[in-house]
Amino acid sequence: MLLQVLLSGLAIGAVYGLMAMAFAIVFYVTRVINFATGQLLMVSIMITAALSRAGLPDIVSVVVGVLASTVAGVLIYLLAVRPVLRFDRFSFAWLVSTLGVAIVLQSLAAIIWGPTSRGFPALLNRDNLHIGGAGISVQELLTIIVAIVVLVGFELVRRRTLFGKLGQAISADPEMASAIGARVTGFAIAAFAIGGLLAGVAGILVGPITFSNPYLGDTYGIFGFIALMIGGIERPAAAMGAGSCSASCPSVRTRSSARRRPTGSRSSSSWPCC
Amino acid sequence: MTAGIDMAAGRTERARSRSRFIGLGAVALVVVYLAANLGVAHGSYYVQNLAEVGAVFAILALSLDLVAGMTGLYSLGHAGLFALGAYATTLLNANLGWNVFILLPLSVVGVGIVGVVLGALSLRVSGLYFAIMTFIFTLVVTVLISDLDFTGGLQGIAGPTFPDFPEGLSFLGSSVAWCVGIAFLVTVVIVWSIRSSAFYPVLLAIRDAEPFAASAGVRTGVVRVMMFGLSAALAGLAGWAFSFLGFVSPGQFNWTVSVNILVMVILGGINTRLGPIIGAIFISAFPVVISIDPLVQEVIFGAIFVLVIVFFPRGIVGIVTSLARRIRRRPLPATEPSAPDTAPIAEAELAAAGEEPQVSDEIALEVRDVRFGYVRGTTVLDGIDMRVRRGSIHGLIGPNGSGKSTLVNLISGALRPTTGTIEANGHRIERLGAAGRPARGIMRTFQTAVLVRELSVRQNAGIGLYSRVPRISGRSLAWPLFPSAHRDDRAIRTRATAALARVGLGSGWATARVADVPHGVEQLTQLAAATVGEPSILILDEPLAGLSSGEVEQVSEILRQLKRDGVTVIVVEHQTRFIFEMCDEVTVLAAGELVTSGSAAAVRADERVREVYLGQ
Repeated sequence: MLLQVLLSGLAIGAVYGLMAMAFAIVFYVTRVINFATGQLLMVSIMITAALSRAGLPDIVSVVVGVLASTVAGVLIYLLAVRPVLRFDRFSFAWLVSTLGVAIVLQSLAAIIWGPTSRGFPALLNRDNLHIGGAGISVQELLTIIVAIVVLVGFELVRRRTLFGKLGQAISADPEMASAIGARVTGFAIAAFAIGGLLAGVAGILVGPITFSNPYLGDTYGIFGFIALMIGGIERPAAAMGAGSCSASCPSVRTRSSARRRPTGSRSSSSWPCC
Repeated sequence: MTAGIDMAAGRTERARSRSRFIGLGAVALVVVYLAANLGVAHGSYYVQNLAEVGAVFAILALSLDLVAGMTGLYSLGHAGLFALGAYATTLLNANLGWNVFILLPLSVVGVGIVGVVLGALSLRVSGLYFAIMTFIFTLVVTVLISDLDFTGGLQGIAGPTFPDFPEGLSFLGSSVAWCVGIAFLVTVVIVWSIRSSAFYPVLLAIRDAEPFAASAGVRTGVVRVMMFGLSAALAGLAGWAFSFLGFVSPGQFNWTVSVNILVMVILGGINTRLGPIIGAIFISAFPVVISIDPLVQEVIFGAIFVLVIVFFPRGIVGIVTSLARRIRRRPLPATEPSAPDTAPIAEAELAAAGEEPQVSDEIALEVRDVRFGYVRGTTVLDGIDMRVRRGSIHGLIGPNGSGKSTLVNLISGALRPTTGTIEANGHRIERLGAAGRPARGIMRTFQTAVLVRELSVRQNAGIGLYSRVPRISGRSLAWPLFPSAHRDDRAIRTRATAALARVGLGSGWATARVADVPHGVEQLTQLAAATVGEPSILILDEPLAGLSSGEVEQVSEILRQLKRDGVTVIVVEHQTRFIFEMCDEVTVLAAGELVTSGSAAAVRADERVREVYLGQ
């Protein structure tokens, strides 16, 4: 029983962790918290679902969905973040512009696809594995694996490659980094693209469980942000750890609070705004 | 001569009538506001609710601007502080039956104290880390109020009822509208007072130029914590007022509310008078007033966020000011700083140069056997002795890395010696913090001037008077109401102008923004800020760094004038010609040890000095 809780907690935690990572990589290079990261997850889910409903094969809709969130990430940088940073690198004005983008994306999705939940292709969620009496779907297993690969990959790139070190240099002092020849704008675009990509992948991984809903971005963005804040914005790896923990905790918490409050469903867990 | 006096009298007369005009304007504004409040109090439920919610959020936005805009602390804890105010009022009224008027000071002071504690805990971190600490605070508060048994959980509880007006006053209408309205008015008075006070430049200095502020005698850490405490108290006030508007439940206070308040401040215009109020009204009223399809309305709402901030990073107030500037066709101050006075020193002062000032035998500053290391086990300064005679110019030279700047930092209080004593004007000062030394007559300048770029040259120079104006921070809460504050304002302006004139910066430079002036003027401004308080001991850390030869001559002349005024000057410098020409005595350091100390001529002739420093 405990193993089951742990496993499903881990799978959800991996999604939060990927979201935290999407926040953290953008922050790592540009010192900006992209408050529309959750909505990027939603973009990939909504587009994948729409294409799948239109009759395209799963693999095509998944690829297009993830691409869409990646492109959207880059557009957010170019349209809403770069102009603000060029005016004053130290101001917090990006907070307003990225939140504005989040609101626009969410409401546009609700206008286009309706504000209610609709289907999402099951992908690998049909197949189940059994580990020591606990069941886990292949989709969940894949989520955990992807999260681990991303985490290890990021740490390797950051520590072992010039690319990663340049990222560190740019975050510390963009002017100095550009003086030694680093392409600061290129790096920032890459960071937002990777952030969009990770959020999109997280969306595809969690989609079969949540189905498609324009307000998903809120929930997952918030969890990703909390994981980022608790884990520490300097170290994306720690953010991912915090994501997994915060996921395991609410699922334990709702179980215990369910006893106290019989009406307590998942949505009334004590975490704010879920 | 009489013409000059007449002119001065005319100027003070004009200033007086101007301040009287402003005073009348303020009274008129309050009357109009109270009339509007009366209108709201008689308005429909819809109007009342709209105005009351808007006012509560305006209080929150103003209180956040106090720390985010003026002090550079981007707090995400304001929703938590707001929650504490509202829940304390509601719970103490519902469970213990306490009167709401007793709860007003309780929640304001109580939340203020929480703010002081939270601020003190988070003080060691700044920037985004401060935001994270306070974010976690809000998270903890919301989790507690959702989970504790007596808070009513997620459903929340009904707030207390605010007592109606007694029979005779019932013509005033809804009492809650007045309660919220007055709370907002009080907040505006406090925040705007601080903005117009002499404390405001000091706050910006803490935000942008902390070492400069500390060297002017500001205890920056304490001021930061107290400002956060004040901001928290105002958030508590907002919570108290909010509890009368109906239900309180955790959803109204979660961390997204913190983010929203910050959005109000930035969208309206951070660090402006009206910006936070406009932002709060826009964000709280827009979704209520614009009644179209809710989804389309949301899209427009978000698009306004993006468009305003991308095209006007200074927010809505930025739109207005740039429009106003375009209409008036007034050029930016940046494009046209009026021509500076090229003749730096007045003739009368040059005439006085004939008298050779006396250097007394009295010791103004004595460093005795000072040892210091940045890391345990290493030694940067090893048993330094230095005696500076009153009224002398004392040079401190040595090769790079010899410990000159460390010694200067020890004397000015930025560092504390491991062992040894420093005595200034007969007082031991080595354990005194940097902010305590201006009161002992010690002021300093830095190698590179870091000033408040958005303030004028004169305002920056005026910061140097912080330790000379009593209770400047306490009085700032209601600054315009104190007659003494008006006197101090005038005195600060006059003395800062005079100090700028002494360093050769005429009235042309005084009103230019520091962001728009060349490096040399910045250095001279810093010198004016260090001398405006008339220190008895002045420490100059490489005052010539980056100056042109003309400016070097100007600084030399300023030093001679300071000496004539009897100021003891310690100067760290690399230009040996300047040092040996200007100084009475010179101390030479090398590799953290004292090489020699004595009269300029003796030091110049010293074999060892030639060896270690002049490379001969």
